[in-house]
Amino acid sequence: MPPSAARYALTPALGIRKRRDIKMFSRAKTYFRKPHIVISLILLVILLFIVIVPFGKMVKDSFVWQFADARLSRNSHPGELTLFHWKRVFAGPLTQNILIRPLYNSISTSLGVSVFAMVIGAFLAWLVARTDLPFKKIVASVAVLPYVIPSYIHALAWLNLFKNDRIGGVAGVFQYLTGISPPDWLSYGYLPIVATLSLHYFPFTFLLVSAALSSIDSRLEESGEILGASRTYILRRITFPLILPALLSSFILTFSRVLGTFGTPYFLGTPVRYYTLSTQIYSNIINRIPSVGYILAFVLIAISSTVIFVNQRMIGKGKSFVTIGGKGFRIKDMPLGSLRYPFLIAIIALFCAAVVLPFTLILWQTFTLYPDDYSIRHLTLLFWTGHANTAFAEGEAGILRNPAIIGAAWNSIKLALTASLLAGLLGIFIGYAVVKGRNTRLAFSVEQLSFLPYLVPGIAFGALYLALFSHRIGPLPALYGTFFLIVLVCVAKNLPFTGRAGITSMLQIGNELEEAAETLGARWSMRFRKIILPLSLQGAISGFILVFITVMRELSLIILLVTPETRTLTTMTFRYQEQGYTQFSSAISVLIIFIVVCGEAVSKKLEKRSPANR
Amino acid sequence: MRKIVSVVGVLSLVMGLACTSAAEPFDETALYKAAKEERQVNIYSYSSRVFKFGKTFEAKYPGIKVNGFDMDSPEIVTKVLAEQAAKNYVADVIFLKDPSTVVNELYNKKLVFNYVPSDLENLIPAHYKEPLLVHHASVDAIIYNNEKMAAPPIKSLWDMTMKEWKGRVIFPDPQKLSEYIEVLATIVQHSDEMAADYKRVFGQPIKLSPGVKNAGYEWILRLLNNDAIILGSTNDIAKAVGLSDQAQPPVGFTAYSRLRDKEKNPKLKFEIMLDVQPAMGVSTDVIVAIVNKASHPNAAKLLIRWMMGDEKGGQGYEPYFVFGNFPVRKDVSAPEGSKNLSDLNLWKSDPDYVWKHGQEVLDFWVAHLK
Repeated sequence: MPPSAARYALTPALGIRKRRDIKMFSRAKTYFRKPHIVISLILLVILLFIVIVPFGKMVKDSFVWQFADARLSRNSHPGELTLFHWKRVFAGPLTQNILIRPLYNSISTSLGVSVFAMVIGAFLAWLVARTDLPFKKIVASVAVLPYVIPSYIHALAWLNLFKNDRIGGVAGVFQYLTGISPPDWLSYGYLPIVATLSLHYFPFTFLLVSAALSSIDSRLEESGEILGASRTYILRRITFPLILPALLSSFILTFSRVLGTFGTPYFLGTPVRYYTLSTQIYSNIINRIPSVGYILAFVLIAISSTVIFVNQRMIGKGKSFVTIGGKGFRIKDMPLGSLRYPFLIAIIALFCAAVVLPFTLILWQTFTLYPDDYSIRHLTLLFWTGHANTAFAEGEAGILRNPAIIGAAWNSIKLALTASLLAGLLGIFIGYAVVKGRNTRLAFSVEQLSFLPYLVPGIAFGALYLALFSHRIGPLPALYGTFFLIVLVCVAKNLPFTGRAGITSMLQIGNELEEAAETLGARWSMRFRKIILPLSLQGAISGFILVFITVMRELSLIILLVTPETRTLTTMTFRYQEQGYTQFSSAISVLIIFIVVCGEAVSKKLEKRSPANR
Repeated sequence: MRKIVSVVGVLSLVMGLACTSAAEPFDETALYKAAKEERQVNIYSYSSRVFKFGKTFEAKYPGIKVNGFDMDSPEIVTKVLAEQAAKNYVADVIFLKDPSTVVNELYNKKLVFNYVPSDLENLIPAHYKEPLLVHHASVDAIIYNNEKMAAPPIKSLWDMTMKEWKGRVIFPDPQKLSEYIEVLATIVQHSDEMAADYKRVFGQPIKLSPGVKNAGYEWILRLLNNDAIILGSTNDIAKAVGLSDQAQPPVGFTAYSRLRDKEKNPKLKFEIMLDVQPAMGVSTDVIVAIVNKASHPNAAKLLIRWMMGDEKGGQGYEPYFVFGNFPVRKDVSAPEGSKNLSDLNLWKSDPDYVWKHGQEVLDFWVAHLK
């Protein structure tokens, strides 16, 4: 008791209040002593800058006349409040074509892709993690490759196979072989979009579900077997519920990602006027009507939020997904029996479609002297190693001799490494804060906020960062033109990958481990370093890989933010493509794939050396 | 005494006038000297050919590095706006299409300024140097497959709305490629000529669909209703129309300068249709200007001078000395085999009209996509 205790006795009422204060203070002290609370608060400050402020600007701008709105309305007064943009989207002559039809298309393609990608990814993950499938290691290491190949290459490959006469040019292989012109629904629109994007995005599910499966003690399943449960019953009642969080995470990641995807839906959809919301967002922002683009982005956010809400209801309160306890742990393979080779063949077919075919296509393209001329006698190395020579390729050197491209390659690598490391680290903290504080409002807001950027399409997010960080905000100087700003936008946009990965792996780590260490007197930093970090590393690394790949291939998010000093490989492919130099743009894509595969191999090495795998 | 003063006054006035009106010699040496101290120049360009004239510039003026950065015109505008706001002046020179936006969003706000090299003052017509210097004019027109079709199959823009062309006309997506907002707006601007041509083709005056304002809009509507195919890249359109061995190739709007794709790809067989009524295409100005507070102003001026070439075209202008790009210099004519701009039956896009009505036209397009 402090020396002034006597005074309290004289003024009982005050004393009670003071005592209550002290109680509150000590409660606050224990509150702040909980590491997950402190982490949550720090995370909130970071999220304030990279998420809340941009989101606030998005809301504000949707209600304010912009300068370029003079083109839309004679009554515009830049800077003043207006409902014009909202009316334009929800109750104008354009509503049908910029909102309703694109919305329907967006939802149906995203649902289709999520379901297919989830089924393929989860099944593959189970085969690799739980069965005696032959060549498992190889399958596991190539499983992520479809995501490494730019999705427009998948779209291009699809057209090379199934293109019909509708849009002119050369018909696809299908028509060449059969003489039948494929119907429009096979060539363009819904089906090809869903097919190509499913092949592109199933690695999301594969990575998350493999991580979850590899940390589930297979004795849980074996005990079911001992008790006489059938194989399907075990899958349904034991394995499936345990990987449910990972499955739902990957569903959300895929669904939201596809909602915001612009390239492939645009490329395969436009010939039959199949537009999605992302097309409208892109077009409005490029056309400098960002307010309308933002409002359409709100619609996407609303849809994804509903999906997430349902997801949270499904994970439910109080259910335990703890699978890494303080006890021993092992995984036993389930024999596939006579199905071993049929499954392997199916997987090989899948990889031919998702990797070998598109990759061969772009690799071949880099060697063609003339675009679309695949004949052997017209092959050349000029686009790789040609010297700068004004008579050829408008004087551009092959990409391996082109200083601009080599500079851009270093920028890409630097960007992807920094962004994925930062996002990976933040992801572990988010996982810890969210899981330890489960069911508190604080944890809830950290989780929601860290996920928000993922729901905003890249081009809109980039435009927001450009508008915001080209001025100084408080103590922050104008960041436009700096490398840091590009890192920042990539970290913010990809936080959900690592955040989800962090949450998923943290959900599986039992409290008892940390509590035991705490009882033994280990400080939090020690506990984090020795227990939490190693155990969540598997999940964090899969998040890290996803971010690395995504950032290496990022275009729409950063296109407005790069300057000549900071441009990346992707910003260069785009122009070459547009200028008709398929060879250059394909060669850069091959270079990107090469870098990503190296990156993945290195992180796999690190993963092997991580304590969890010792 | 007073007489002397006034004589001196008049004289100096006359001399002053003479100095501003007559072409003051372009002092290349002094400019190069000043530019060399700046060491480099950053140019945002709508065209990847920036690397080509950049290279010849560096050879001609050693010691000055050209950092070319190619991106779409709307992105250039967005970036310059951001750089001005951030006071981070990266771009020195901008080189882009979409004059309506450049004038309204940048020039009128004094974020870019005009630079006409003094020795060119008399060699460039007034409308190509005010308010901003035009580097060349670029034309969008209709192409056809000349391997399959012996003669241009289209005589009037209205032909494209007829049944025989249903599903066989390709139009670039104005939602993605802003220069085609210009094309559509220009067609709407010339709706009287569109109406007259309709009468010439069909023998009766045009009947507008309900809610449609004029013949220009009516053309857009009928084009869309005739199952026009929309593609997002002019390069893809050139391929769709021009690749050889097609049974029934479509026709399509694309950039005239796509003709140079044929050099890169011998399988492309297409030509521009020159005799289309009421106009064979739309020309738009490609602008080159210096950015407000540019960090390398002298190098910027020297680069612009280099880009404008000489009386024979010149090394700096060479990348644009191609079919479909038309020089603005009075002393330079289009490359051999190409007609001059003034000989083509074209509509010139009007930046002011596009600024005021372009969005309305785009809205019409979007609202009628079915």
